Amino acid sequence: MGASQSTPKITAQDRAILDLKLQRDKLKQYQKKIQVVLEREHAIARTHLATGDKDRAVIALRRRKYQQSLLVKTDGQLETLEELVSTIEFSLVEVSVLHGLKQGNEVLKEIHKEMSIESVEKLMDETQEAREYQREIGELLANNLTADEEDAVQEELRQLQAEALQGEASQVELPSVPTHDPIPEHIAEPQPTQNEERERVPVAA
Amino acid sequence: MSFSPLATPTGFLLPSVHSAPPFFTQQPHPGTNATVQDHWITLILGYARHRKLFVLRVEDAEATDSEWLEVFRNERINRKLLPSYLFSILATMVSKNVAIYEPPGQTRSVLLYWRLPEEWAEVLHQWAISTGQLNTILTFYEITDPPIPSPLSNIPVTLLRKAIAILAKTGRSQLITIADGEGVRLFQGTGK
Repeated sequence: MGASQSTPKITAQDRAILDLKLQRDKLKQYQKKIQVVLEREHAIARTHLATGDKDRAVIALRRRKYQQSLLVKTDGQLETLEELVSTIEFSLVEVSVLHGLKQGNEVLKEIHKEMSIESVEKLMDETQEAREYQREIGELLANNLTADEEDAVQEELRQLQAEALQGEASQVELPSVPTHDPIPEHIAEPQPTQNEERERVPVAA
Repeated sequence: MSFSPLATPTGFLLPSVHSAPPFFTQQPHPGTNATVQDHWITLILGYARHRKLFVLRVEDAEATDSEWLEVFRNERINRKLLPSYLFSILATMVSKNVAIYEPPGQTRSVLLYWRLPEEWAEVLHQWAISTGQLNTILTFYEITDPPIPSPLSNIPVTLLRKAIAILAKTGRSQLITIADGEGVRLFQGTGK
């Protein structure tokens, strides 16, 4: 197990990026140094003013101004460098995305090779044939069943027809709907006669 | 004489033994000496961790602009640590592997291991992951002086190199050298 196997190889691009970044760091360190000088000159100017030495103070301030302009220039250069570094890193990302796409495409092609259009059509036709065959068998079986029970069905049909005829005949015997209220005459009459007979009996005695 | 922990202006809590005068004298008896030196070592490492100081030199005991004045001097009891005593404490620390002589070959200045190189390796790896800087080329300056302060700010390059070497063993770092300087690339590594 070599040491370079677990980590990717260092390419010339990597070295170039490192170089750029080192230059950027140098600029940053330079900026820091200038910042320190700026503050020192500021302090010097103040002390000179405190001692009343205006000329010296002005000189110190002029130096400070010049350093400030240097700082602004390095800021611009730093920006350019950092932009370049970012662009390079971004394009590296793009390259790896492209690489991934390419690989994915190849895998897809391989899969498609196994699954050609002709073989799929053939497969669909075979399934169609199989389905047809299945349908025929199903109909055959279905026909078989009706042939067996055809007699039973005919018998049932005759029975139903016979019942229907009988139903028509018995329909005449049905009573007609009454048109008036039922009269309770026969039931009420025997009672008063019974009472009269009872009254007569005690008088006769 | 009341011994109690004392907080220094930088917010570090000094142990109560720091207020005891004998603490600052090298003890003749080997047993006591070993115990007292252990206390000094714990104190030094704790203070270094608090102030993020990496280097300790024998001169720091008496230099007037030293970062260690709060620890090596106790004005209230009018005691200070002598350079000779600090020299022997440094030797003890190196023998206990909590410091190394840096630069090697001399015995007056040490690099403190208030965090072991193995731990620094993990901190470095974690920082790279959390700032999204895996698989990118980094310069040493980027790591020791990041725009956003990190646990690794101001780490000495020697210690950084050791951490990188440790990560290289698990395939998580790769050192790149060019004419102008050096850089490192960190990887996720296999999950172990």
